[in-house]
Amino acid sequence: MRSPAVAFAINVRVKYHNTFLFRASGTQSAEANRNGCWPGAEGYEGVVMQVWKGLAGALALAALLGHASAQEKPKELGIGVFTFMSGGPAAYGMPARNAAGLIFDGINAAGGIGGVPVKPVYVDEGQGTDAVVSEFRRLATSGEVSAMIAALSSGNCLALAPIAEQLKMPTVAWNCDTHQLFLKDKYDYVYRANSSTIPEFVATALYVLDKKPDLKTVAIINPDYAFGHDAAQIFTAALKAFKPDVEFVAELFPKLGASNYNTEISRIMAARPDVVFTNFWGADLENFVRQAAPRGLFRNSQGVLSVGEAVLQSVGSQLPDGVIIGVLGDGWWQSPVAEKNAAAQKFVADYQAKFQAYPVFPSFKMANTILALKAAYEKAIAAKGGAWPTAEELSAALDGLTVETLTGGLTIRSEDNDGLVDQIVGVTAKSDKYPFPVIGEMVRYPAELVTPPAGTDPIAWIGSLDKDFLAKLPKPGSAQ
Amino acid sequence: MPIVVLAVLAALVALLPAAVPWLRFVFIITIASGFAALGVAVLLRAGLISIGHALFYAVGAYAVAFLMRATGTTDLFLLLAAAVVVSGLAGLVVGAFMVRYRAIFFAMLNLAVSMVVFSLLSKLYGLTGGSDGMRVATPTLVGSALDREAFNAVFLYVVIGLFVAAGILVQLYFRSPMGEALAAVETNEVRLEYLGVSVRGVLLSAYVLSAMLAGLGGAIAGIAIGHVVPEMAYWTESGHFVLVAVLGGIAGPAGPFIGAIFLEVLRTLASGFAAETWNLVVGVALLLVIFFLPEGLYGIGAKLFRRRGAQ
Amino acid sequence: MLQALMPLLVDGLANAALIFFVAVGLSLVFSVLRILNVAHGSFYAIGAYASVSLSLWIVSAGLSPWLTLPALAVSAAIVAAILGPAVERGFLRWTYGRPESLQILVTFALFLIFEDLQKLVFGVQSLYQDAPVQLFGTSEIGGILYLNYQLVLIALAVLVVVALRLLMSYTRFGKLMVAVVADPEVSQALGIDTRRVYMAAFTLGVFLAAFGGALASPTVGVAPGTGPEAIVLAFAVAAIGGLGQIEGAALAALVVGVVRVLAIYFAPEFEAVVPYLVMLAVLLVRPYGLFGSVRVRRI
Repeated sequence: MRSPAVAFAINVRVKYHNTFLFRASGTQSAEANRNGCWPGAEGYEGVVMQVWKGLAGALALAALLGHASAQEKPKELGIGVFTFMSGGPAAYGMPARNAAGLIFDGINAAGGIGGVPVKPVYVDEGQGTDAVVSEFRRLATSGEVSAMIAALSSGNCLALAPIAEQLKMPTVAWNCDTHQLFLKDKYDYVYRANSSTIPEFVATALYVLDKKPDLKTVAIINPDYAFGHDAAQIFTAALKAFKPDVEFVAELFPKLGASNYNTEISRIMAARPDVVFTNFWGADLENFVRQAAPRGLFRNSQGVLSVGEAVLQSVGSQLPDGVIIGVLGDGWWQSPVAEKNAAAQKFVADYQAKFQAYPVFPSFKMANTILALKAAYEKAIAAKGGAWPTAEELSAALDGLTVETLTGGLTIRSEDNDGLVDQIVGVTAKSDKYPFPVIGEMVRYPAELVTPPAGTDPIAWIGSLDKDFLAKLPKPGSAQ
Repeated sequence: MPIVVLAVLAALVALLPAAVPWLRFVFIITIASGFAALGVAVLLRAGLISIGHALFYAVGAYAVAFLMRATGTTDLFLLLAAAVVVSGLAGLVVGAFMVRYRAIFFAMLNLAVSMVVFSLLSKLYGLTGGSDGMRVATPTLVGSALDREAFNAVFLYVVIGLFVAAGILVQLYFRSPMGEALAAVETNEVRLEYLGVSVRGVLLSAYVLSAMLAGLGGAIAGIAIGHVVPEMAYWTESGHFVLVAVLGGIAGPAGPFIGAIFLEVLRTLASGFAAETWNLVVGVALLLVIFFLPEGLYGIGAKLFRRRGAQ
Repeated sequence: MLQALMPLLVDGLANAALIFFVAVGLSLVFSVLRILNVAHGSFYAIGAYASVSLSLWIVSAGLSPWLTLPALAVSAAIVAAILGPAVERGFLRWTYGRPESLQILVTFALFLIFEDLQKLVFGVQSLYQDAPVQLFGTSEIGGILYLNYQLVLIALAVLVVVALRLLMSYTRFGKLMVAVVADPEVSQALGIDTRRVYMAAFTLGVFLAAFGGALASPTVGVAPGTGPEAIVLAFAVAAIGGLGQIEGAALAALVVGVVRVLAIYFAPEFEAVVPYLVMLAVLLVRPYGLFGSVRVRRI
């Protein structure tokens, strides 16, 4: 049950958003903050807003007896950052951790967020969901952090989201993409700064249909948890929408971190499918590629590595040309958009100098999420006339946020808190510049085309896609 | 004497979080593992070491999650009671098979069964959510819904009450004829049978009791964390319970709780300089206790080392 | 028909070989020392780390990749030479004659310590070095390409079973071990230095564990979690075969490997549970394993 005061506050928040939505870009709000006022806050409506907000805040406060009152500007801003730093998944999680360090250093060198230096607190998701949940609770209730960037794993996000909501802790999901996160539950404190599994794997399927229009048989091998099962369901639904008679000759779900896939590979090779789809990631994907590539799996079948960009530098040289590679979003460092963005190129250069590798898409997901959180803080500070925002005000600023990221644009849509991000897909192509393959025949599917509208059943939406929809799509190679 | 120790512990655990609210959650989890360790300690009294009791810990936790999802039950006491009953039943089924074995085989079979359950919980994605686990909403307290922090404040005292009650009950059990027979299983099982005592009956009842205690611990942990995952049944978790029991000492019911609290204090102290090497610290502490403090921190009458004198 | 069955057979044997190497050291240690070594999985993981590190060094130093092959055995031997005597003399010998539960706890404590030492020494990320796999190339069997390295492992597993049997039956050291297993007190009275036999047997067990990890590392890599996973599988296989039975472990590995492959081909959802289901099924019928014998209850 919601108390009237809280409901009132929510009402105010929605209105407040409609007013300021169009200006919520990171640099602008920073500017406004330095001037000590927010342009839109002047005039009658702005004053009313302030009064309403104050009133609503006071009422909400009365309803939540005993909770902290007016926010003082902290000496430093603690932000919890959750990623895998140990075990097989660290192959995917550490590039993100590295990116976070670079971006936070950059923010602090430029004066922090709203003049407050940022102190990231990193939490290793490799210690298991229960430990991750405990750590989240501890950080949130001990006052050590004011916002969370969590998490990498879909399983952890599903576990953390209701807790973030209970503890009123503004939380931005940076990588986890299960579409179940916002499907049934409505949150006020949990947002996602990246796309969900729906656009990600619909995009992969669309690309496969374009490259292999006459495919008949498909094998799927995914890790055995929400991410793997979701992807299998979405990829299957998307293929069946356009090719109802496609046959799935093997659907295997080895457990996460199983490491030895040789028998599964034999089983798939025995079935001789036209297409082999996997959304393995991290060390699992590296192991799979190292075991499957020498055995010719990607020569006999069209390989689809939907999370493949993240391992191009480590095992990509074992792949033949033409294997379909997904990016899960737009975070490919050589995409035309990223190459035109000076900040992105500086990030790539800094990253390469510090870690002797190029940033992979998980690095960009993390970097872009931090930039989104920073933009939200600045938006909230500006809206409050330079005063430090409460958790609720920060969450309100995340709602409907639009930011320019290193690799494109991001909008967190207000209806379901989900992120809208373009999807890049391509194939492996030999490079004369690098000792590993790069992405060729690139396509960039616009977010609004491949993301179902909020509130629709995503699988039903996929089933409703038709030839007219295909006609609207950009073609492979169009974004090269 | 054990009752006094229990009472002092309870008072300490009850008062501290009033000063530091976020300690509530830590204490609840600590006591939850204390329950599971107490279950392990019951069996250790008979010289049986189970590296599979995380199974019942997980059963208790999943019982709460399933009951909430299937029936919409949210009452805290109903959920805890149901978890105890379900884990007791699981203990009865598994125990009927286990009491045929001793020593290493007992340890290994417990491990195997818990790993079967771990694999099933991870594998049955449609039913259990696989390795994503299941959510546990904040329960209601005798009909009234509380927000999470308020609930935890009350829950801590409920849990302390339960741990004092369980401690007293286990103490009574140890002193009952069944409990005395349990200790005798270790010293001389065959003689016990000549006396006309059904060793399997004694062991089975102890096994069911230990399963219920572990299940209660799991239910408490599941409710406190708000999420249950298959890792709760993983064998290292079982090893952790044995470790807690031995660290604390298995002679009295307060031992495992002392062990759990000691570990948590150690973890807090170590988090500053040895967060990355936590297992190492615990491993060394365990070796020190085994070799130099054979009776555990609780310190009275260690069963494990008694036999050394007898040989 | 045979053509279709060949992949099943090859995959089954390849799986069995990997599983056998996980378990054989545990069985050997148990047969002599009567200790269930929970830290066995740690030796497996440390062996894998050591061999990956050595191979990475060989490759980065520009030496011949063929040197990575002996590196597999050499790294395992180094691990065994250092850790075997240290652990046995430093910790285990104090527990001889004490209750099994205490021995299990000591090895569990060692397991915890080794887990963190691995992270300190080798880092927390997954490591691999697949030069040995690439050296051997591939072969086509039943229409499917296999890594020749998989076939090499099968041959090696057979070789190790035979070698251990010969060692036990025909060498002085083997006979001493058999004598100590049969009756430690009488052996000692006859002038056998049981301390040295224990130490040597334990070191051999550590070598087999580390060698198993080293052999697996080129295909599956190594990461935190490798140890804990290995030990459960080793327990299951050792229990199925009968604790302390080398041939039992080999047969058990074969059964688990083949059943696991059948599961992946025909009922993939059961694959993860296979070792434990086989174990429960065997132990229900034969409580002390396929080759195990009932030990006399003490009075």
